[in-house]
Amino acid sequence: MTPRLNPAVVAVAVLVYLFLVGPLVIILGASLSDTTYLTFPPQGLSLRWFENIFEISAFRRTIVTSFQVAFLATMLALVIGVPAAYALSRYRVQLPPWLGTLFVLPIIVPEIVFGFALLKSVAAGAGAPIFVALLAGHTVLVLPYVVRVIGASLSSFDFSIEEAAVSLGSPPMKTFFTIVLPNVRAGVIAAFILAFITSLNDVSVSLFLTGPGISTLPIQILAHVEQFFDPTVASVSVLLMVLTVGFMAIVERTLGLTFLAK
Amino acid sequence: MTQPLDLQSVTARYGTTKVLEDLSLAVGAGELVSLLGASGCGKTTTLRLIAGFLAPTSGAIRLGGRDLTRLPAYRRNIGLVFQNYALFPHLSVRGNVGFGLKQRGVPTAERERRVRAMLDRVGLGEYADRLPAALSGGQRQRVALARALVIEPPLLMFDEPLSNLDAKLRVDMRVEIRQLQRSNGTTSVYVTHDQEEAFSISDRVAIMHAGRVMQFDRPETLYRRPANVFVARFVGFENIVPMRVTAREGASIQAEVAGIALALTEEAMGPVPDRFLLGARPEGLLATPVAATGIPATIGIRTYLGRAYQYRCDTPAGPLVANGPLSQPLDPGTQAWLVPVPDQCCVLSPERTP
Amino acid sequence: MRRFAGWLLSAPATLAVIGILVVPVAVVLAATLTDPRGPWAPYAAFFNSGFRTTVLVRTLQISAITTVISLVFGFVAAYAVSRAPRRLRSLLIVAAVFPLLTGVVVRAFAWLVILGRNGILNGALVAAGVTDEPFALLYTQGAVIVGMVYLFVPLMILTLVGVLENIPEDLLQASASLGATPTATFWQVLMPMAVPGLIVGAVLVFTGSFTAYATPQLLGGERQTVLATLLQQRAMVSFDWVGASTIAAIMVAITISVVLVMSRTARRLNPVAAS
Repeated sequence: MTPRLNPAVVAVAVLVYLFLVGPLVIILGASLSDTTYLTFPPQGLSLRWFENIFEISAFRRTIVTSFQVAFLATMLALVIGVPAAYALSRYRVQLPPWLGTLFVLPIIVPEIVFGFALLKSVAAGAGAPIFVALLAGHTVLVLPYVVRVIGASLSSFDFSIEEAAVSLGSPPMKTFFTIVLPNVRAGVIAAFILAFITSLNDVSVSLFLTGPGISTLPIQILAHVEQFFDPTVASVSVLLMVLTVGFMAIVERTLGLTFLAK
Repeated sequence: MTQPLDLQSVTARYGTTKVLEDLSLAVGAGELVSLLGASGCGKTTTLRLIAGFLAPTSGAIRLGGRDLTRLPAYRRNIGLVFQNYALFPHLSVRGNVGFGLKQRGVPTAERERRVRAMLDRVGLGEYADRLPAALSGGQRQRVALARALVIEPPLLMFDEPLSNLDAKLRVDMRVEIRQLQRSNGTTSVYVTHDQEEAFSISDRVAIMHAGRVMQFDRPETLYRRPANVFVARFVGFENIVPMRVTAREGASIQAEVAGIALALTEEAMGPVPDRFLLGARPEGLLATPVAATGIPATIGIRTYLGRAYQYRCDTPAGPLVANGPLSQPLDPGTQAWLVPVPDQCCVLSPERTP
Repeated sequence: MRRFAGWLLSAPATLAVIGILVVPVAVVLAATLTDPRGPWAPYAAFFNSGFRTTVLVRTLQISAITTVISLVFGFVAAYAVSRAPRRLRSLLIVAAVFPLLTGVVVRAFAWLVILGRNGILNGALVAAGVTDEPFALLYTQGAVIVGMVYLFVPLMILTLVGVLENIPEDLLQASASLGATPTATFWQVLMPMAVPGLIVGAVLVFTGSFTAYATPQLLGGERQTVLATLLQQRAMVSFDWVGASTIAAIMVAITISVVLVMSRTARRLNPVAAS
């Protein structure tokens, strides 16, 4: 029985949470409005702005691109990140400490600098298609989440289990897939989701790597907002939030949500 | 300075689970009382109720003349030694020990003097500027003790204070705690699950089970005259045999179980009612191959204890555990007799079986 | 073979980070030092431009104010969350995670809806008769700061809840048993132990708001140009790559200095680091 909280503390906390949740509720309301301008509370309920998203070809195209990039970048990051996370916890002694730091660099280096630097090298290399550069940038951008989340799962993995499997005659590669990976499954799922969302939401890297015909959803939203002030963007935002809720439900099922708080 | 502590029918309930049931306990001024029991018996809850970290559902807690029941923890003035020491990691040894004095507004010079004196007393004079992280387990324990003692509380409480120390240090520390407590004469409550620790250190011990005090007595009494089957089993009376008195002659008694007659004496065992339970430690049943007035038994598994052999036996009175001398090892399957040793036995009333 | 297993397994990821991030960023930074006008010329140009130094100062100012506000409100909220009953606590943590997982564009857009000329706030103010003429709330420094605080308060709450929950209950009880009032316990035990966490939170928020792009772009516009939006303009509108590279270098330098200085301070203040 901890001592009662000071009512002033509770009051401030309530205000902070209203501040956090309020704007999201307002977006939801605005997206359902029947008017051609943004308003809240909505005047007349309608889903027309949700339909409008798919009538604008730029939204259709960028949604597809964003999901493609997010999915491919996440898969690539898993393919290179899982072995790296495994190496970092299994062979910690033989690897230099800076290697761990290297994998958090994409978070430390300002994203906008990273995006600009990529643009410059693409321009210098001249050959690389913009989509490839976008994909490469996003892969590196989400890599820290993969390495960190899977590393966290592995840190509670007892490697003597792996040794037990090997001693029972299972070859190392097979052991990794049949013993290690299933035991960090929840971590892999969380890493996938976190990486996917990070890529999907990215602005600063994509900003420089969008060209004729290729753009991502957040960049398209920015462009749309600067020209139109209708509820379409509110509707897109709601769709993205629904997706986020879905992802959070999956994480909740597999790991418990407190995992995300770490 | 030293004051009696009185718990008056304290009940604690969380939701629907009762953690403490109508618990009353009177600790005399200057006395050291242990609360002893397995985890979940309510001993820690009792300590936390006294400290003020929990509030009782009903009942009262009094210390000296003061009613503590509704007083917040920080105004109770109780010295508390935590299981994990709970030293403030950001404060030096000096800062930790001086913390309580600072709260009481003791001026810096006086505080410094008292902290010094206390640190010298627990032998940590040279460590005043160290951070807790730079101390060994035993030293942390001493800081925790000094921190609780320096505020000169009318009541000291210990929450399994030695459970994180290794065996040797544990014995040294408990002697030290007893010495400090004796010389201060501070009323103390000591929570532990270690029977030897409780018995060696305490004036009186309350054995707790399922939120109740099963027996509250001096260690000697608990050890020799348990009041009920629970306490008897707790202090090592592994064999409990229901018996009936068939004849009395002065202090000598003839009793019977499953048609087997035993000769007992009230001199060593205290008054024996007509129907009773005979409690015997393994060393209270002497296994012998020579036919005697004892319980006939078939020897089962034999284990070596160093000072004796111990046997699991089958008898007409059920399975029993008995000891036998090293000079006369008995083999499994052989016939033997188990002879009660009266001063290693106790008498329990069947009515008081919980 | 086993001696190199660690290297082999981490090689693809290592090469990816080096090739895609480290080398391109290094090239950008190097470009500012190999300018034909002389090694420090781009920096001289930057600091001689009144506009650009104003942008730098504004960016620092916005980040500092955002950090302070997020610290104060984040800490109070985190304190309440960490003391809340279990179920409520999980709910509150979810309520902080959700905005964090919602994109920055969406979150900045929400404030566009609220603060716009025909936005909700102005609508309410007009309706309440406070004003006849809607206020120009957007494209002000205040709008950018509100958007930034909105962006970073959840991060601060989650960081600090983690820190506060790691402070053992025992210590707070020990403090009470020694006679410390709840207020004294707060200032003498809880706060000192939370300081390293506060520093980590402050670094995250400061560096995050210092380099944020979408929020100042949407809520601040050209009137509230910050380094990130300036970098984008220089690179994509003016094609002034040397200028953009210089801004990038300044951002990297300040970010890394803040991280280094603060992590050193945190280490000095963190008493448990000795163990």
